[in-house]
Amino acid sequence: MNSKSKVPCIPIEGSISWEDWLKGRRARRESSQLVSPGINRRQRSSSDRRLKKLFNGERGLPFTPTEKL
Amino acid sequence: MDAKKIKSALADITAERDPTLKSAKLASLCSSLWAEQGIELVVVGGSAIEMLTEGAYASGDLDMCHLGVATLPVRQRQEIMGLLGAKGGPRNWQVAGMYFDLLGPAESFSCTPYRRVRGPYGDFLVLQPEDLLVERVLMTFYPGESQTARNCARILISVALRGEIEMNWAEVRRLANRPEYRNLTECEKLVKQVADELKIKSPLHPN
Repeated sequence: MNSKSKVPCIPIEGSISWEDWLKGRRARRESSQLVSPGINRRQRSSSDRRLKKLFNGERGLPFTPTEKL
Repeated sequence: MDAKKIKSALADITAERDPTLKSAKLASLCSSLWAEQGIELVVVGGSAIEMLTEGAYASGDLDMCHLGVATLPVRQRQEIMGLLGAKGGPRNWQVAGMYFDLLGPAESFSCTPYRRVRGPYGDFLVLQPEDLLVERVLMTFYPGESQTARNCARILISVALRGEIEMNWAEVRRLANRPEYRNLTECEKLVKQVADELKIKSPLHPN
């Protein structure tokens, strides 16, 4: 039922190579952003204390912009 | 994996500034080390969703579970993570500039295989998107409405509908009907909503 896509698909059977997984990153991000734009990271969680200590007040490293994927 | 290879992998992961790549590389390295001890690990939760969708969702910790055994001896956990120069434990460690959580046995009801990525330091497994989707739909409505969980579910649906991950929709239907979830109506509704937005026919509404 999936629409036709030229980017490498993460398959049910077998495996996806590292190169293909990397190649598909931008398309996956674009599909995600179509329905939930921006950063979707949770605002808070029980791990906040340790995360913010490690990541200078943030909950993780900044995401790579879509155009650089 | 010999000490030289581990050192080189750790240097690469520590220097990595892309959070999703960093997690995926660490999953690959940890999976390899644990596999040498006969233990299979699988990426779960938000980390799994990130690796399947690039949804800009995950935080700076990698969540993994183990397969096939009920528990892992604490001594073994500390020894193996010690090979990586990890700090802390016995369930979460700081390693290579992020956190690694080993949460216990994997909770999966799907009959489809774990997704497999041939990572730079060895294969790693990712929890089935069928399970992740039905679970996130459940979290969208229970215990209360959650926009974060809804966004996650919508992202998974979009990436699957556009063909970037292969989703077994019959399995989604079967899982949503299971007593553990009982949320087929909600799943159908959310999948249709996203499918309509993308102008793609909903696979859960074949007619």
